[in-house]
Amino acid sequence: MADATRLALIHAEIDGELDPPQRAELARSLLADPATRAVREDLRRLCTALDGVAEVEPPPQLRARIFAALPQTVAAPVGPTPARYVPARSWWSAPALRYAAVLAGLVTAGTLVFGVLDGQRPPASELAGTLAGPRAAATLDTVRLTDGPVVGQVSLTRNVAGLGLALDLKAGAPVDVFVAGGGYTFRINGVGHQDGPAAPTTVALPGFRTDLQAVDLTFLMAGQEVGRATLRATSGR
Amino acid sequence: MNEGDDGALVRRCRDGDRAAFEQLVIRYEKPVYNAALRLLRDPDEAQDVAQTTFLKAFEHLADYDPGFKFYSWIYRIAVNESLNVLGRRRPYEQISGEEADQAPGPERLIEGEQARHAIDEALARISPELRTVIVLRHFMHLSYQDMGEILVLPEKTVKSRLYSARQLLRDSLVQHGAT
Repeated sequence: MADATRLALIHAEIDGELDPPQRAELARSLLADPATRAVREDLRRLCTALDGVAEVEPPPQLRARIFAALPQTVAAPVGPTPARYVPARSWWSAPALRYAAVLAGLVTAGTLVFGVLDGQRPPASELAGTLAGPRAAATLDTVRLTDGPVVGQVSLTRNVAGLGLALDLKAGAPVDVFVAGGGYTFRINGVGHQDGPAAPTTVALPGFRTDLQAVDLTFLMAGQEVGRATLRATSGR
Repeated sequence: MNEGDDGALVRRCRDGDRAAFEQLVIRYEKPVYNAALRLLRDPDEAQDVAQTTFLKAFEHLADYDPGFKFYSWIYRIAVNESLNVLGRRRPYEQISGEEADQAPGPERLIEGEQARHAIDEALARISPELRTVIVLRHFMHLSYQDMGEILVLPEKTVKSRLYSARQLLRDSLVQHGAT
């Protein structure tokens, strides 16, 4: 077996760190000792094999898990208010902020009217669940987006396969929707429609429990948050 | 690694831009997960470590010293978290120096998929500290300097550990018939 000095030279050679005198010293050792040559060959093969181990793609849900774990991505607590959509603050003009403050006071007083928000409940979700086929989805809640760069509506649905979202959005750029609820997260990419009429998109929410209370939506454009909404899962039961 | 971009993203994060941190997650999710996976050999635990790594980085971003590379900092968190997980497991079956010295002579290592499997098994038998230097050097292709920053060790010590780790792996492969 090669001694420590020879081994160090072999490792340094593998790492490309030999200077000319060291290279000459190693060459002499290799010429003189077949055991050194064999060890060198084994180590070179080992390092080649190690360097050639391919990276593994992370599981697709990992990124959403990480985003969900970050404090700032924790969804707002679910309150008793109906489904609502809150555009990002930068969209609001000063008068609109004042208007929202007045409306927030009204909500606190028990009034369910919220000017920029449209939280109409689907009136017949139970009926739909009863009369429709087993794969048909019942709409549990719907939020309409009427203010800001993203307009349209998003509905929370449920069928025998689980929860889903029906998105009918229009925006000037692709919209990503980050969904969080009951400890699960899901990201839907590029559902905005840049031009022309919007086309509805239906997306299943794998892993989301059907008995959860609500899902929180965060709308992103070019990585920037442009609005939030909450859809309640209990309204259609 | 794009250090300049990392620095700009970190500054934006510190200014409250969450989307900037998401960019860092997207950039380093794969190497962090792979480092944890190679150290732990358990995909579920590797996911947990990756999540914890980014969460800790996010929570302690104010402590990050911009004088160091961001990826060195986040890899250090990932390595430490992985070592913590390993420390909670039962003791590993470590190859002793004596066993290594008794290894037979200069056989040839096998190649291909069989060799990769044999290497994986041999990696599991060396200590977490030695496995870490193999992962950083050969799987993450980091320099001695970066490894020193991550492990908070002088480069000389990093080299010494790396040489020992390779030697033990080589001897283990020979001893277990991967020749």
